[in-house]
Amino acid sequence: MDVDTRNMTPTNLIDKIVVPGDVVLDLTKMENQTIKLGSGLRQDYDCISVMQAGKLRLSKPNKYWVESSQKRYVPSLEDTVLGIVVEHRSDNFLVDIKAPNLAFLPVLAFEGGTRRNIPKFETGTLIYARVVKANGIMNPELSCTDASGKAAEFGQLKNGYMFETSTGLARMLLSSPTCPVLEALGKKISFETAVGFNGRVWVNASSPDDVILVSNAIMRSEFLSGTQQRIMAEKLLQRLEKV
Amino acid sequence: MHVRREVIHIHLPRRSTSKCDMVGMVIERDSVGEEGDDVVTPGEFLGEATEFIAGKGAYVSPNGRSVRACLTGRRKVTAAPPGSHDNRSTIEIVGHKAHGAVPQPGSIVIARVTKVMARNASADIMCVDSKAVKEKFSGIIRQQDVRATEIDKVDMYQSFRPGDIVRALVLSLGDARAYYLSTAKNELGVVSAQSISGGTMVPISWTEMQCPLTGQIEQRKVAKVD
Repeated sequence: MDVDTRNMTPTNLIDKIVVPGDVVLDLTKMENQTIKLGSGLRQDYDCISVMQAGKLRLSKPNKYWVESSQKRYVPSLEDTVLGIVVEHRSDNFLVDIKAPNLAFLPVLAFEGGTRRNIPKFETGTLIYARVVKANGIMNPELSCTDASGKAAEFGQLKNGYMFETSTGLARMLLSSPTCPVLEALGKKISFETAVGFNGRVWVNASSPDDVILVSNAIMRSEFLSGTQQRIMAEKLLQRLEKV
Repeated sequence: MHVRREVIHIHLPRRSTSKCDMVGMVIERDSVGEEGDDVVTPGEFLGEATEFIAGKGAYVSPNGRSVRACLTGRRKVTAAPPGSHDNRSTIEIVGHKAHGAVPQPGSIVIARVTKVMARNASADIMCVDSKAVKEKFSGIIRQQDVRATEIDKVDMYQSFRPGDIVRALVLSLGDARAYYLSTAKNELGVVSAQSISGGTMVPISWTEMQCPLTGQIEQRKVAKVD
C-alpha cells in the first residue's frame, strides 16, 4: 500500500487539546523537512513536545503552535495591545500591558512626534499601541504608529469603558471573519471597540446603556459557539427594545 | 615561618625622661611605626593592655589584660601622638584585604551577565586577572563598548543574554554603582553560554554560537579564545 508520506500530517493531534508533556512530532520519522515551531512547543532532542496546555494548530505547510488562553500576556512582535500609562520618564512612558515587565513607549513614537510636541499622558491613561520589540529578557517596546509612521488609530482612547478578558477571548474577537457576537450587536447598536491581544477590551457607544450591553455580551461570549453567541446577543438586544 | 616573640618588660621608674621610652617595649623584629611581615590570626596575643592600645583589627581581651587580634593580617604598631595623656602605642592589623582581588582600570575580568537592557548590560565580576574576588563587584557594559565597529547599531539582545560568562576589560571605576567594562576587542566577549535548551554552546564565529543538543544557532558577541 503506497502512502504518500509527504502529504500525511505527521501527527493526529492537530486541533485537539494537548497538555504539557505530550509528544507531538517524532523527528526521526521526518527527515529533510523544515518545521517552524510557534509558542507552546519545544524541541526535546528527537521529538517536539508540548509546553503549554491548549489546542494544537497547524498552518500549512509546516508551522505548528499551541493556542492557549490565559489571563497574563506574553508580548510578541506586531501585536496590538491596550496599555495603561504608569509613569512618564524623560525619553519614554512606562506602560502596563499585563506582561511580566512594564513596556516602554518612546515619547517620540507618535505621528509627527518631536521633542516639542510630546503628548501629555497622565498616569492611568489608556493607550492603544503596537509592540515593536519583544524578547523574553528585556522590557517590551511599543509604538503608537504603524510601520509606515502614520497614526492609524493608535494613541489615547478617550471616554468609553475598558474591561479585562483572557487572551483567548481577545483573539476570538479579533479573528476574521468578524466574530459572531460583534456582528449581531453591530446590527442594532452603533459602537466602537478596541481589542488588545493582551486581554483588554475597550468599548465606546453614545449612551451608557449601550456600553454596558455590549460589554456584557462580549464577556459572556467566551465559551459559546457562533450560533449561541448570536442567540445570546439577540436576547440582550430585545431587552433594550422593551425599555 | 612563625617566630615566637619574646616580650621583655623593662621596668623603668615612672618618671623616666628618656627619649627612648622603654617601658613595655616588645623586642622583636618590628620597631615602632613599621609593619611586621609575619601574619597574625584572630585570637593571637599582640601585647599587654598596659602597654598598647587596641586599634583597628585588635581588641582588649575580656580579662582586660592583653591586646589580641581579631582579623587576619599583619600587625602594625603606631607610636602615641606626642602630647596625649596616654603614651601607649597603638597596635593595628593591616593588609587584611590584600588577598582579595579588586578590579583596576586595565585589568581583564571574568563576569557573569545578570541583566540585559536596551542600552547596556549588567554583569557581576567574579575574577580579576585570573584571581577570584572575595566580594561581589558590579559591572556595566554599555552599548558603545560592546564591539569596536558600528557601535550605534549594536543590539544588546544579540550580544549577551543573562547567565553568559564574559571576559571583559575594566575601562574605569565608573559610578558609585558599577565599574564600566568593555568587550570591544577580539579576545573579549562571551566565553561560555547556555542555549535555550540547556546545552553549553560551541562558538562558530565571532557572532554565533551553536547548541550541541538541538543544533540551534544563537547570536552572541563571542570572544576569540586561543
